[in-house]
Amino acid sequence: MNWWLQPLLLAIVTGALCPISGTLLIVQGRVMQSNLISHAVLPGLALAVAFGFPPSVGGLVSGLLGSMVAERFLGSWQGTTSHGAVMNTVLAGFLGFGVLLIPVLGIRVDLEATLFGDLLLTRTVDLLQALGALLLQGLFLGLYYKPLVFFGVDPAGAAASGLPLRALRFALAGITAFVVVSSMTAVGVVLVISLMCAPALFGLSGATSLGQAVLKAAGAGMAISGGGFLLALLLNLPPGPLIGVLCIGLLLMGKIKIIGS
Amino acid sequence: MSCRHLSYSYGQHRVLDHIDFHLRPGSLSALVGPNGAGKSTLLHLLQGQLQPSGGAVELDGVPVGRCRKRIALMPQKGTIDWHFPITVAEFARLGRLSSSRTGCCDVDGALQRVGLEALAGRRLDQLSGGQQQRALLGRTLVQPADVLLLDEPCATIDPPSRQLLLGLMRQLSDAGLTLVVSSHDWGPALQSYDRVLVLDRVLRADGTPEEVQQTLNDVTMGNHYCG
Repeated sequence: MNWWLQPLLLAIVTGALCPISGTLLIVQGRVMQSNLISHAVLPGLALAVAFGFPPSVGGLVSGLLGSMVAERFLGSWQGTTSHGAVMNTVLAGFLGFGVLLIPVLGIRVDLEATLFGDLLLTRTVDLLQALGALLLQGLFLGLYYKPLVFFGVDPAGAAASGLPLRALRFALAGITAFVVVSSMTAVGVVLVISLMCAPALFGLSGATSLGQAVLKAAGAGMAISGGGFLLALLLNLPPGPLIGVLCIGLLLMGKIKIIGS
Repeated sequence: MSCRHLSYSYGQHRVLDHIDFHLRPGSLSALVGPNGAGKSTLLHLLQGQLQPSGGAVELDGVPVGRCRKRIALMPQKGTIDWHFPITVAEFARLGRLSSSRTGCCDVDGALQRVGLEALAGRRLDQLSGGQQQRALLGRTLVQPADVLLLDEPCATIDPPSRQLLLGLMRQLSDAGLTLVVSSHDWGPALQSYDRVLVLDRVLRADGTPEEVQQTLNDVTMGNHYCG
């Protein structure tokens, strides 16, 4: 197998994985959660590395815990402005805790790889895990498509209809955490966030259904991630940062109608 | 539907105090009162979403908590994300999500009733304010309910759209549905209703539009509510 094929496949799978989660989070008004979870995985990763567990399991637990802590505090603060502030505080707290654990536990963590990943070091297990996350995400979307739509367009009405809002939000947070850990070991925190947001906005622009938005977002994500990786090889640049810059390009092209504007 | 000694408090703040009324099937009632009078809270109590602090709400003698699917609540327009990627038809179809039974109309019939059949494939954010309000009503009509609670359906829409909605509500009540409509409108539109309930924490007046108007001819009260 060519040395670049496995990283390219991971770039393409991640390019689909992140925008799908991003689209679901944006339409649920929970886009800050992508930011929160991607940073909150760090303490779990550090602990897993220190105690010999798979880092993705530690990251998954830690990311989900961060999301639950934020939910707990959100109940005490009203208004979307306060919600953003609570999310940022929990995010910074978990990130700080993760950074503190590194010297305390005496482990070595490559900060550059944490932020931007290293596609060239992709292992088969990374690719399989990303494919597993994509499968799980597809199942979730297939099983809960209509409730996700109802909660997105009218959360109060959906809750009044007896649909389980809390359970759905918890499942969404869990899947987001799995997506983050499955993507960031190869592509890093920064790229996870940019791939969750920019293609999702592109997908949502002009879409007439959530399914259409998800497919458009996944297509744009795969193109920008896969294309970015190949361009990085051509230009001899690190792929992660280049893909992040290309995501801003999506906005600059003026093809995205920002939600709510 | 009947309310007996219904009360509700948010913490120490009493929002509704000993509300009593009985609605006959197929009636069209207006629920009016100033901002903060407790209109939306009362509608949520009637739908069974909120538990009363005191008293009870029953539909055909059954507590509403046990027959919530027979009561549909159309929320205020501001609670909806109108930029969500969804067409008018799909939005209306959500009304059937919580039940396999069909309401007074199927999706096509509901859109026809609210005059949006030609816009079924359009995105919600491409509709005017009045059309959005009608789409919301269309979704409510798809729900399998005997009682429709409409929370300020005529707010922020132009007079022709308001007239259309009032006509539609009358048709629904003639078809046997019981409707309760919260409103800020103290004008001639009140004459369109069978009954008017004036709420301001307690039930201030209750009767036909003429009877209520007579009660409100008390200058102090009239100024208070009409101002």
